[in-house]
Amino acid sequence: MLHFLAKRLPSVALMLVVTAVIAFLLPRLGGGDPAQVVAGSDATAEQVQAIREQMGLDRPLPVQFAEWVGQVATGDLGTSLISNRPVAQLIGARLGSTLELAVTATALMIVMGLGLGILAGITRKGAPRALLDGAISVLLATPPHVTGLILILIFGITWRLMPITGEVSVFDDPVRGFSYLIMPAFALALPQAAMIARLVDARMAQVRQEEFVDLAVAKGVPPRRILLSHVLRNSLGTAVIATGIRIGEILAGAVVIEAIFARQGLGMLAVTSISSRDYEVVQIIVLFAVVIAVLVHFASEILLAALDPRIRLDG
Amino acid sequence: MSANDTHPHHPAGRRPRISAGTARYLGAFRTPRGMIGGGLLLVMLLAALLAPVIFPGGVDMQTRENFQPPSLIHPFGTDEYGRDIFVRCIYALRISLSLVLVAVPLAMALGILMGLSGAVSRRLGEVCQRIFDIILGFPSLVLGICIVVAIGAGWLALAITILVFSLPQFGRLARGALLTEQTREYVLAAQVLGVPKRKVMTRHILPNTLDPLLVQASLSMIAGIFAEAALSIVGLGIQPPTPSLGTLLNVGIRYVYAQPMYTAGPIIMLLLLALAFNLIADALNAAVLNAKRT
Amino acid sequence: MADDILLSVRDLSVEFGSAQQPLRVLHDVSFDVARGRILGIVGESGSGKSMTAKSVMGMLPEGGRVTGGDISLAGRSLVGLPERELRRLRGHDLAMVFQDPQAALNPVKTVGWQIEEALTVHGMSARDARARALELLRQVGIPDPESRIDEYPHQFSGGMRQRVVIAIALANSAPLIIADEPTTALDVTIQAQVLRLLVELRARLGVTVIMITHDMGVVAELCDDVIVMYGGRVVERGAVADIFDAPQHPYTRALLRSMPQIGGDRLSRLPAIPGATPDLSHLPPGCAFHPRCALAEEVCRRTVPALSPIPERPQSEAACHVAQREGRLPPEPAERGEVDAAAGRSFGRAPILQLEDLRVDFGSRRRLLRREPPFYAVDGVSLEVFPGETVGLVGESGCGKTTVSRAVVGVNPLSGGRILVDGRDVTAFDDAAAAHVRKTVQYVFQDPYASLNPRLTIRQILSEALEQRGLPAAEREAECQRLMEMVGLDRGYLGRYPRAFSGGQRQRIGIARALAVEPRVLICDEPVSALDVSIQAQVINILADLRDRLGLALLFIAHDLAVVRHLSDRVAVMYLGRIVEEGPAEEIYARPRHPYTAALMSSTPRPRPDPGAMGRKTVLGGDPPDPRNPPSGCRFRTRCPIGPLVHPERRICIETDPALAGDGRHRAACHFSGEAARLAEETKT
Repeated sequence: MLHFLAKRLPSVALMLVVTAVIAFLLPRLGGGDPAQVVAGSDATAEQVQAIREQMGLDRPLPVQFAEWVGQVATGDLGTSLISNRPVAQLIGARLGSTLELAVTATALMIVMGLGLGILAGITRKGAPRALLDGAISVLLATPPHVTGLILILIFGITWRLMPITGEVSVFDDPVRGFSYLIMPAFALALPQAAMIARLVDARMAQVRQEEFVDLAVAKGVPPRRILLSHVLRNSLGTAVIATGIRIGEILAGAVVIEAIFARQGLGMLAVTSISSRDYEVVQIIVLFAVVIAVLVHFASEILLAALDPRIRLDG
Repeated sequence: MSANDTHPHHPAGRRPRISAGTARYLGAFRTPRGMIGGGLLLVMLLAALLAPVIFPGGVDMQTRENFQPPSLIHPFGTDEYGRDIFVRCIYALRISLSLVLVAVPLAMALGILMGLSGAVSRRLGEVCQRIFDIILGFPSLVLGICIVVAIGAGWLALAITILVFSLPQFGRLARGALLTEQTREYVLAAQVLGVPKRKVMTRHILPNTLDPLLVQASLSMIAGIFAEAALSIVGLGIQPPTPSLGTLLNVGIRYVYAQPMYTAGPIIMLLLLALAFNLIADALNAAVLNAKRT
Repeated sequence: MADDILLSVRDLSVEFGSAQQPLRVLHDVSFDVARGRILGIVGESGSGKSMTAKSVMGMLPEGGRVTGGDISLAGRSLVGLPERELRRLRGHDLAMVFQDPQAALNPVKTVGWQIEEALTVHGMSARDARARALELLRQVGIPDPESRIDEYPHQFSGGMRQRVVIAIALANSAPLIIADEPTTALDVTIQAQVLRLLVELRARLGVTVIMITHDMGVVAELCDDVIVMYGGRVVERGAVADIFDAPQHPYTRALLRSMPQIGGDRLSRLPAIPGATPDLSHLPPGCAFHPRCALAEEVCRRTVPALSPIPERPQSEAACHVAQREGRLPPEPAERGEVDAAAGRSFGRAPILQLEDLRVDFGSRRRLLRREPPFYAVDGVSLEVFPGETVGLVGESGCGKTTVSRAVVGVNPLSGGRILVDGRDVTAFDDAAAAHVRKTVQYVFQDPYASLNPRLTIRQILSEALEQRGLPAAEREAECQRLMEMVGLDRGYLGRYPRAFSGGQRQRIGIARALAVEPRVLICDEPVSALDVSIQAQVINILADLRDRLGLALLFIAHDLAVVRHLSDRVAVMYLGRIVEEGPAEEIYARPRHPYTAALMSSTPRPRPDPGAMGRKTVLGGDPPDPRNPPSGCRFRTRCPIGPLVHPERRICIETDPALAGDGRHRAACHFSGEAARLAEETKT
């Protein structure tokens, strides 16, 4: 187990370093001189130069990078050059909205993904099989933003069942909160759930072909027990890893979904920050999104290792 | 592909290889799925190409009334300035199709090169795999945001985004095929015969790599088309007023009560494109599996 | 035959596919199994033997159905029994042992859990099940069962896993156990362990066993009765002794004759069966064997012969028109192959291929912080092959024999030693050396399905090789045709793709490709082990013919000692990356001087009925050690039947690595090489 984790660690570390470098470089890639922005457009060259030195922008990039990483690691996320407010504060104000959306969507994704996957996995033939196959294929091929727009057209415009824009925190008013949350969360979760379902279904079909399932049948084990102890138990790893990867996609999908449903979350903040060239905010959001995605993925690998005795005991 | 249709006196018999390989892929388009998918794509391609001829009024041609409901003349109705939404959708196809038809083949070529680089140098191959891992570690839209920040929103940023995030799919498939092919006994046999490495690559390894890659290309086209929409909806892609499926949705969603077709129209286009490429991917996949089975 | 019939199968027919286009895989299969006996079901791929077992278990794959006949277990009909009832019988009254022990156990559950499951689903309490599981593990010979019961399958070796599978089959003391090729995936020394266990269990517990196998040797040494299947039908049925003594179906007879023998006279040519095993979807009309049968007559092409007793030998039943009419199976036109004349063949003086102290390092990959210690898959192998000579390289899987052969052709890089081809040092394998090797040494691969590129026609495959020989394009067509004729294939086949050919034909094409560059040495890596028994002889004969006609030297790699004996002039035996014995084939087979060679020979099943054979065999205990971590001293000492395991005073085996030594050309790496021959002797009597 430790050996397996030790083997995975370098690639996790590499991923984190690369993300940090990209996030760090974003404001510099985005063009525009931060010192100029701070100084204002009518500042003299000397003033700009002074500010540059004050901000440490004249030092070599690696030094700036090390300093920035140090700051972020100690919780100093920097200050927006546009609004002059601490980035942490800007993000904090939006975090709740995105968390509500992401957590709801993740829960939906896991429930629907596993549910559909297992349902497809135990439905091997006939019309129900074709139906499930078709449904999963369609959901899989339709990304969150298109799913979201279709949901709006159907439930918001045609039937007028749900509010299509805005939000209320579920902690303030659970019923209204969820009524605002339900469509964006579904839109985010459906395509990812379909992906998980497809993988779980395929894995179950594969496990079913294994000789140990035949041996279980030959032992006289009842079908329900074969499904649980043999087929599902050996498909769990796939489900865990698939879920781990998809959580990152949910975070990214939130950017578009928030725009479509006019939710004031982090995704919306990222988009408006890019438009206003507020790269100090963008870099932190990017960093967080990737770090969370990487860590969730790593966590799912640890879980996988714990589930599989071959890795747990040897690997 | 019966056994006796080759010329008995053909000296080196190069001919059947070409016909056998390509005939298989072409054969995919003779199946019902391939025909519908291919036909649909062809119609949309032609419409996009010939849009200026078909709609000489151009993309900004205005009618008298805004927000007209769908009618025979304006199948998707009109927008806030009274422009025909259908015409704008057709023009939008030009962006979507040009993006993926440029970016995906480039990604495929680069992916094959990077994926097969392991055959030249093991280390180079490993490095390429690491790069793919990193790209895949990024949630796809986050990657798009970084690229947009770096080079500014627009067609180029979208093309690069599509290229970068479809690259690992091709690269991994190519590498996977390389790793399995390299240990195939017929590749070893060619090696033992002394067939030069380059020829082993082009004759034995590459053709067997191509099968999954072509299917993946169709799927990447869909992903690319949707990616344009996603980034443009949030304003990080094509910039209004240029009509792309994403920019249309960006504006359309604001008027969704007044003109639902403003949103539904581009979505119909998106889904038709996805359907076309999906059917083609299905048909190719079936043709590939079929050839493997017999 | 005992009157106490446990299982009776009558006119069983099984079909797959739709009702409109059924594919019939079993045709009127009938047999009985008497209590306490072992019935062998023998056949090649597509004969329907596994399908028969699955029908009895009620475990036909999806789409399969019994369309006729009956199966009754102890008087109770199983056909049409509801699934609930069947489930109660499975594991309780009928148990099964599967082919691949690597795949037959659930990887995420402990072996104890898996044995206990077999008990608890039939109503035993968890506590009793645990006690019974321990008892079963002890019964199947798993050492230290108390601690191993909570281990996972991957912590067991292949042989040990098969024991666990057998323990599961024994769990509820089921009266009938069906074993479906239980040793095919195992090495010969491990196969011997498992077969001996089955014999012991039968003696101790009185279980009845149906043994499904393709190996006539296993049938002869293990079974009491046998049915021979071909094309989904039973073609012959009777007691093992009777059928091996005088087979009454031409297929059985031809199959027995075409097998190379590990003992007895060596034939120069094997009496091969022509053609290929039929595809179940295109069975020939009439007797399915008629296209390959030397005795076939008009009636054989038209009507299917019934399985009935042969007038002059009423104890066996055969489905053959000719045998039934004549009263017994008439002798075949060409009766027996001549005894080998090759003893007098002469070989070149200077070796064409010379390996000196070859080492191949596998898996010493660089890790993040440390470099793993090197692991030699091949550790100091020296071998010479002379022009015109055939050297057999024998050993079990993982011993390094294939690694040696691939190193010679430059596929595996060397980490030590020298290779000389035709006197020239090619160790560096630079361009010039590579070119020299390519035109002198060629390779025939194991898997005929993987060794031909499915996208190229045979003409293209052969032309590619001819191009390497430097033959101008204009002359290649004629040469392709010549090559095809050389390996006995129609030149009209040149335009076809590999998928149009059977396994045996593909292997011939592989040989033709290797010969296209006119090499002087042919390395054959298990060239027949992937082929059906009835096809093996064809390929072996072609190799022998070509060798003699073209004066080729062969380095013949195989795990099957009988095949090696048939072809080889000299034999080298490998164990754990080393050659442990080397010498002239006849001498080694007559008087082995290494206990490993003796054990290999003893473990190999012989197609000669011998009820006591299993008891006399020298069966090696344990498993081959991890090559990453070879034992000190003699590498074989951890399994050696004459080493420190039995003679604790023999410290020398632990302390000193024996060198390959001996008088003249027969050398062995053993401190007590004089005792090995005795081991082999004991088995024969």
